[in-house]
Amino acid sequence: MSSEQRIQILTGHFGSGKTEIAINLAFRQKRQKPYVAIADLDVINPYFRSREVQTDFDRLGIELIAPKGQLATADLPIVTGELHRVLLDPRYHVVIDVGGDKDGATALGQFSNEIRKQEYQMIFVVNGNRPYVSTVEGIAETIRQIEAVSRLQVSALINNTHLGRDTQVADIENGIAFAEQASEQLGIPLLFTTVSDHLADELKALSFEHRLMYMQRFMKLPWESV
Amino acid sequence: MGKVLMKGNEVIAEAAVQADCKYFFGYPITPQSELVAYMARRLPEVGGLFLQAESEVAAINMVYGAASAGVRVMTSSSSPGISLKQEGISYLVGAELPAVIVNVMRGGPGLGSIQPGQADYFQATKGGGHGDYRIPVLAPSSLQEIVDLMQAAFDMADRYRTPVLLLGDGMLGQMMEPVEFPEKQDLDLPAKDWATTGTRGDGERKITNSLRLDPADLEVHNNHLQQKYATITKNEVRYEMYLTDDADYIFVAYGTVARIVKSAIQKAREKGIKAGLIRPITLWPFPELPFLETRDRVKAYLTVEMSAGQMVEDVRLAVNGRKPVHFYGRTGGMVPDSDEILAQLTQLAGGEQ
Repeated sequence: MSSEQRIQILTGHFGSGKTEIAINLAFRQKRQKPYVAIADLDVINPYFRSREVQTDFDRLGIELIAPKGQLATADLPIVTGELHRVLLDPRYHVVIDVGGDKDGATALGQFSNEIRKQEYQMIFVVNGNRPYVSTVEGIAETIRQIEAVSRLQVSALINNTHLGRDTQVADIENGIAFAEQASEQLGIPLLFTTVSDHLADELKALSFEHRLMYMQRFMKLPWESV
Repeated sequence: MGKVLMKGNEVIAEAAVQADCKYFFGYPITPQSELVAYMARRLPEVGGLFLQAESEVAAINMVYGAASAGVRVMTSSSSPGISLKQEGISYLVGAELPAVIVNVMRGGPGLGSIQPGQADYFQATKGGGHGDYRIPVLAPSSLQEIVDLMQAAFDMADRYRTPVLLLGDGMLGQMMEPVEFPEKQDLDLPAKDWATTGTRGDGERKITNSLRLDPADLEVHNNHLQQKYATITKNEVRYEMYLTDDADYIFVAYGTVARIVKSAIQKAREKGIKAGLIRPITLWPFPELPFLETRDRVKAYLTVEMSAGQMVEDVRLAVNGRKPVHFYGRTGGMVPDSDEILAQLTQLAGGEQ
């Protein structure tokens, strides 16, 4: 997994799974690195944001950079200035969870000068089962818009093509084929394909040919807590 | 189109487009803004028109205008915005204009919170605006059900010349699930010969109006509306019954809460408590039949809502004193979990054995 860059930025179409991936990446980084921060830059979504996993972050000692207190549940587009602190501190591995599409990425633009001076990796998360990003052209257009407002360059793809609870092995296979096609046509390397924990056994064969990242899900609905 | 992974608000919008809705007027408000954003992008692709109004009041009156012209039109908002639309809804009813209104409820009263709520049940089902009226209220509990009910909402609106309300909560709007949009079936709907599309020397001019100054005339009109409501009540009631056949205790819940209740029912049955669920899908007309069928054999009902107790009043009317009707609710945007619901049931069933 190419994750050497100190700053990892997750962008994508809204609803493509950036937050779950950002949380999983932060957890992984924390196993190797002493200082890990996750920045919740999501000014688009009112629910299911990485700030909701605060207790897990606290337990593992991952720093959450997000609006605090009452502001955490407000629908105000708040970007906390605290992000500068970890961006400027070379000890930190920083995962930035950006809001969806160009609208979400606009909030990232103000940090572009600071980020460009450093080693960063901006990842575009692909879910081919989402409207408007189910074709390579749709992905290219979304990337173009995100790059324009963030003034940063997408340098990697993560394939997160799935159908939620209905995901079958065939969906994962189709998703990989689609993401590889996108990667080739756009000339952007594909880092890996995410797979929900519960499909691990069924996907053993695939894991020899493709890079898979097993994901733990954090954004659960109240009836899924059984 | 195969399965796609969508957010509830997107599904509401796309389902409306699939149901031939070509016009949308609205004003963004959390937690339903994605619906407005999706419509802004999607409607021009199908030759429709999206317009962000200057307020919710303006939006509902634009709906009145478009509905008068006979097109399929929709507006959406969340609780405080729906309050603003009430005058317009009453006018739509008076003028017998078909339209679909979506309320993605949040915690209230006032500006409240942006978290999910069900506290607008009274407003939705008992006539939020003035005058003697009812409008069909549909309450989906999954994203796939939104697809079915949105089609039904537009069809019902046209068939009965009435506004129809689709009622969900913020959780339904924000959550993601896979959905499929089935091929549309052709329905036998009445021609909109009342629509104000201009006369071509082919008859009297047409007017859509809710003002009737002659009281005798207005009473005749009101009787006509009441007859229409009786027909809707006869034809359009929808509900789901889940594990009620052998149930000693029956939960009553709608929308997303019904799904949490279902997981509480599973846990209850593992503990040996036979529980089931009546899930009203139409909140008006409220389903009475499942209560008539079960009230002589169950021990009690337990209504669960994200409110301080609103639908429970309709449950009590349907049970009509034959059995105790209990209530458990959370408010303000707090979502009950299945364990606390189970605890309520366990207590009702005589405590831990």
